[in-house]
Amino acid sequence: MKSLTLERVSFWYPATEAPALRDVSLEVVQGEVVALVGAVGAGASTVLLAAGDLAPRLTGGRIAGTVSRRDRSAIVLPTPWTQVSGMAFTVWDEVAFGPANLGWPTHEIARQVDRAMAHLELGPLATRDPATLSGGELQRVIIAATLAMDSGLVLFDEPAAELDAEGASALWRLIRLLAKEGKAVLLATSALDALPDVADRVVWLEDGAVRAVGTPDLLADVAACDAGLGTSVATVWGASGLPGPYPLTVAHAVRQWR
Amino acid sequence: MTGRRLHPFTLLAIAGALPALAWILPAPIGGACTAAVAFVLTLIPGARLTPGASPGFRGIGVSPGSRPGLVVFRTALLTAVPFWVFLRLLHDVPTTIAIGLRITTMVASFVWLAATLAPDRLVEATVARGWSVTAAYLFAATITAVPTLRDRARRIVEAQRCRGLSPRGSLGNRFRALRALALPLVLSALHDVDERALALETRGMVSGARRTPLAPPPDSAVERAARWALLAACVAALIWRFK
Amino acid sequence: MEVIPALRFDGVTFSYGAVAVLRGLSFSIAPGERVALLGKNGAGKSTVVRLITGLERPGEGTVWVGDWNTRDCVPEQLARRVGSVFQHADQQLFARTVREDVSFGPRALGVGEQEVERRTDRALADLDLTAHAGHHPYDLPPALRKLAALAGALALEPGLLVLDEPTIGLDRALRARVTRALLDRSAGNVALLVITHDLTFAAETLERGLVLDRGSLACDESLAGLLGDVTRLEPLGLAPPPVAALSVALDLPGRPVRAADAARALARVARGRPGP
Repeated sequence: MKSLTLERVSFWYPATEAPALRDVSLEVVQGEVVALVGAVGAGASTVLLAAGDLAPRLTGGRIAGTVSRRDRSAIVLPTPWTQVSGMAFTVWDEVAFGPANLGWPTHEIARQVDRAMAHLELGPLATRDPATLSGGELQRVIIAATLAMDSGLVLFDEPAAELDAEGASALWRLIRLLAKEGKAVLLATSALDALPDVADRVVWLEDGAVRAVGTPDLLADVAACDAGLGTSVATVWGASGLPGPYPLTVAHAVRQWR
Repeated sequence: MTGRRLHPFTLLAIAGALPALAWILPAPIGGACTAAVAFVLTLIPGARLTPGASPGFRGIGVSPGSRPGLVVFRTALLTAVPFWVFLRLLHDVPTTIAIGLRITTMVASFVWLAATLAPDRLVEATVARGWSVTAAYLFAATITAVPTLRDRARRIVEAQRCRGLSPRGSLGNRFRALRALALPLVLSALHDVDERALALETRGMVSGARRTPLAPPPDSAVERAARWALLAACVAALIWRFK
Repeated sequence: MEVIPALRFDGVTFSYGAVAVLRGLSFSIAPGERVALLGKNGAGKSTVVRLITGLERPGEGTVWVGDWNTRDCVPEQLARRVGSVFQHADQQLFARTVREDVSFGPRALGVGEQEVERRTDRALADLDLTAHAGHHPYDLPPALRKLAALAGALALEPGLLVLDEPTIGLDRALRARVTRALLDRSAGNVALLVITHDLTFAAETLERGLVLDRGSLACDESLAGLLGDVTRLEPLGLAPPPVAALSVALDLPGRPVRAADAARALARVARGRPGP
C-alpha cells in the first residue's frame, strides 16, 4: 500500500527564481526503503521537507503538483541539535517529548519510548543530560525520539552523518527493521556504499529533477560513476578500465573477478 | 541542594514581586532592600545556570563544566553595571541611585529566575494548567533565551580566539572583540530561530496541540498561599504608596 | 639538527569534572605529516582539539605546539601556529561575506593588508570558493559554508592544521576538493591532524592513523597497513573502507587503500591475467 506519493512536484523556496524541485514524481510503499541520492544541492532535503509537510507550510515558498500521504510522517533532520527540545534534562524525557506533544496517555508514551530506546541501544544514556552528549549520541537520541512518535512514514536526512562506524551499521540495520515492521522509509544519504544493503529502490536527483530510478544496482551504472554517485567499488572498477557491468560491492567484485 | 524544589509559578511570583515592589516602594530604601533580597537569592546554593540551556548546540565540542552559585551572583552584578553607567550619564547622583537600584532588582531577579527555573518544569506546570504546548514552550523559551545566547556567545568567542582575535587587553581591543561578537551572535541566533521553528514542529509542537503532562511539578497549599500573599503585598504597597 | 615536531602530546591526562577523558596520551606529529585521529564517538577526540587550541589545559602532562607549551599560551596566540576547524564550524561564520570571513584570521594576526589579500585569495582558490567570495555565508548551502570555514583556517597559513570532522555533509566532489587542498598544504610542510570517521576520506588524504579508545592510544601506525586489517579494526569499532576491503579480497599487489592506486593495481593485474 502506498504511503507517500509525489506527483509532478515542483517547489520554489521564497524569493528564489530557480526551482529547488522540478517535476518530481515518486512513491514510497509501506515496508519499503527508498533512498534519494544526488550531489549537494540536488534537492534531496527539499523532497523530504515536502514529503513531511514542512515545505511550503513552514519554509514558505511555492509548490506545484500534489503530495499525498497516507500515514503520519516524522523526520530526522541532518542537524540533530536543532531538533533537541531544550526542555528535557534526561535522554528519556527528550525521547518522550514528541509523544507527549501528541497527547498520548502516559502508559503509551512509556511503551513507545522504551521501545525506541531499546532499538537505538540508548539504555546506558537514559539519565544523561542531552546537552552533554556527543554529536553521534545526540543523533541517536533524536532518531529514537522520532521513532517514538510511531509514524507510518519515516523520513531521514543524512541520519548517519554524525555516527561512527558501529553507530552507522546499527542505524542501517534499524532502517531495515523499520521496513520489516511495515513502515515506509524515505532516506537521503551520501553513504552510497551502505545502500546496496539498505535500500530497496534508489532515486537519483540532479538539479531538482529525477534523473533515474531503480534498484541499488543503479549505483554501479557508468553514468552514476561518472557523476560521482557510484559505490566506491564500482567507481574503482570503472576507473581501472575494466569492462562493465561494474560490481556494486566487494562481494560482487569477488564473484566477477573469478 | 536538599529539599523539594519550589513550584515554577512560585519562582515566577518571586521574580515578579521583587521588581514590582522595587518600583512601588519609595526610593532608595525600597530599591535597596529588594535588590539586596534578589542578590541573596542568587547566592543560594542550587541556583545554577540551567543545564541544557543551550539545547544541543555542538559548536566547538562539549565542555560540561559545573557552574558554582557565585557565577549567578557575578552575572547579575555584571549585567546591572552598564545600566548604572548609562544612568549616571543622564541623571544626578540621587536619581541615578534611585533608578539604578530598581533596575538592579529587575536584572538580578531575572538572572536568578533564568538560573533556577528549569524550563521543562515550567512547561509541565503550564501544560498541567491547560495551556497549549506551543504557548508554554514560547514562555519557557523566552526565559531561557539569555543563557542560550550566552552559551552561543561563548562558542563564537572561542572560535574567534582560535582565529587570533583577543577579547582581552586594552579597551580598544575589548571593544573590537565585542563588535566582532555582536553581529554573528545576532545573525546566528536569528538563523537558528528559523531552523528551530521547523525542527520543533517535527517534534510534534504544532499550534493547538494538547500535551500530556509527563511529570507536573507538585504544588502545595503553602506555596499557593505564599504566591497569593506576594500578590497581596504588592497590591497593599501600591495602595499605601498612592493613598 | 633535530626537527621539532609540529605537535607533541606528552603523557596528557584530562578530565571534565570527575570524568576522565584522556589518560596518559602521548604521540608526536612531524611537519608535513598527515595524521588521522580515529576512534568511536566519545573516545576523547574533540577534547584533543580543545587542548591543542589552548581552550583547555591538560590536567597532567604537556601539549607542545612546535616549541610552545600550551599551558603558557592563550588560544589567540596559538592561532599563529594552529589553524583549527571545529565540528559544525559553519555555524560560527560571522562576517557579511565569505571573503571577509576568510580574511578575518590573517587580519587578526596582524599581517599586512597585501598579505591578507594573498592568503585569502589562495585559501578561496584552493577550495574553489572564489565564485562565492562575495556571498553572505548564510546564503550558501551548509556544505559550502563548511568549506568557507575550512578556508578561514587555511588562510591563517599555520604550520599545523587541526580539523574536526571536515567532511560531514559533503558529497564526493566536495570531499575531493578538501583532499586536494589538504594534500597541497601538506606538500608545503604543513602538518595535518584530522578527526574523522570517514575512513574513505582518511585513506585518500592521510597517511598515518592514531586510534583513540576510551582516552588512550590504542594504535599508532600507517593507514595503509591499518585499513586493510579487519582483525585490528574490529576491536576498535572500525570497519575497513570499501577500497581497502576490495584490495584485500582481490589480493591486489601492495594492498592499495586509495581509489586511484587500487584502479591502477586492478588494471595491471587484469592485463596480466589470461583471458576467458
